Amino acid sequence: MAVFCAIWQQGHEAYGDFILPSPIATAHATLELVRAPETWRLAWATSSRAVEGFFLVAVLGGAMGLAVGYSAAAMRLARPLLTIIMGVPPIAWIVLAMIWFGSTSGTVLATVVVACFPLVFATVAEATATRDRALEDMARAFGAGPLQRLSTIVIRSVAGQYFPALAISLGSAFKVAVMAELLANINGIGIALAMARSNLDVAQSIAWIVLTVAAIFIVEYGLVQPIRAELERWRDAARPWGVKR
Amino acid sequence: MTALTLAGVSHAYFGRTILDRVKLDVLAGQLVALVGPSGCGKSTLVHIAAGLIEPQRGRVVSGYRRHGMIFQEPRLLPWATVEDNIAYPLRLSGAPKRERQERARHAADVVSLDRRDLEKYPIELSGGMRQRTAIARALVLEPDFVFFDEPFTALDVALKRRMQDLVISSAVQSRFAGLFVTHDLAEAVRVADRIVVLDERVRGISGERFVPLERGERDDSSVFATVQSYLKDDPLFSHIHDTDERRRP
Repeated sequence: MAVFCAIWQQGHEAYGDFILPSPIATAHATLELVRAPETWRLAWATSSRAVEGFFLVAVLGGAMGLAVGYSAAAMRLARPLLTIIMGVPPIAWIVLAMIWFGSTSGTVLATVVVACFPLVFATVAEATATRDRALEDMARAFGAGPLQRLSTIVIRSVAGQYFPALAISLGSAFKVAVMAELLANINGIGIALAMARSNLDVAQSIAWIVLTVAAIFIVEYGLVQPIRAELERWRDAARPWGVKR
Repeated sequence: MTALTLAGVSHAYFGRTILDRVKLDVLAGQLVALVGPSGCGKSTLVHIAAGLIEPQRGRVVSGYRRHGMIFQEPRLLPWATVEDNIAYPLRLSGAPKRERQERARHAADVVSLDRRDLEKYPIELSGGMRQRTAIARALVLEPDFVFFDEPFTALDVALKRRMQDLVISSAVQSRFAGLFVTHDLAEAVRVADRIVVLDERVRGISGERFVPLERGERDDSSVFATVQSYLKDDPLFSHIHDTDERRRP
């Protein structure tokens, strides 16, 4: 962080206040923003959309990934569709969503879901398809039915890959939400960024970016990582510095 | 009383018949070893008997109440502690937490697992400890039948011996019957009451022998003598070591 700020300061000294305001000036702008109640309203609007979309993706991607991972035929059908969805740039989805939903939260939500769904879905489907069948046979030998195997073995082993995918898609949920707001003129951090841009207020633009990153930090380290750490405790046990609980 | 009956069991992989109308009865309390060259269908037969593979023809009739199974690899849940791994069959049967804990600890004592190790994860254990855990898991339900699918093949000689002793003593203690797949004739002679030889040319059982002396009364020299006499003088065992997996289609 310190190195990053030092390089930033160098850039500021080389190009001046207008192109790149100093870290201190940005910090001041951020503080000012944090003090204004309007900021919290905008940040909340964006965060709630991003998190809502993120949860939709987590649930839909997880459930559909599991279902498709169980069936080799469905997996083969789903792959080309995924390639198509992933191939379309998010910006194109924003344009489409604007036409379908207008300048509403729906546009943001739809774009977030479309942008983040493929990663989570493909990860879960792949993890389900390549699950450890030896463990499932073991469970069967001890009398586990398909549902018990799903709940005690498959879900648990897929979770190891599900949570890293969630962490990545959380970041892109916020990025896409801000982008969609900016382009579709929807109240939130995106529109605040657009205003800062039109006022040529670079310090404020960067301040908004700082706030966005802070929001991602809060959700990731407050929600995603703790669950993941709990699930992955056994992996830490093997490390030489292994501290368990 | 018969604990397990295989009635005319047949199975084929990709059109190649491995087992053809196999008949086998296992009496209650009897440990039967299945031996034969690799690829003769020993594992397939035990998987069919345990209900993991559906036979293409024939029936499996079980006269036992509960079974346990031990595989070649421990097959432990990596994310669960040793105690939870041992208690896994109890969790499947819906036993309350207290009972699970008590019975898992008891099973761990039977296989002499240290209480301190119960909180560890499988990844922290040595190979022998993992296999001990797997044995405890198979015994936690107090089964009257246990399937062994080459359980000690991957262990070193000293460890293998200790595990065999463990099986012998716990079989005496809880009087379970069992089907024990192995390609090690000495292991079969040490552990089992009865040795059934599978042969790929007859696609099934080519014969069987009852091991002399009671389980537990056999010492090293008698085991060695029995193995030697089987290999040298008994035509039933003459093909047990000749196998060429390359010539198989």
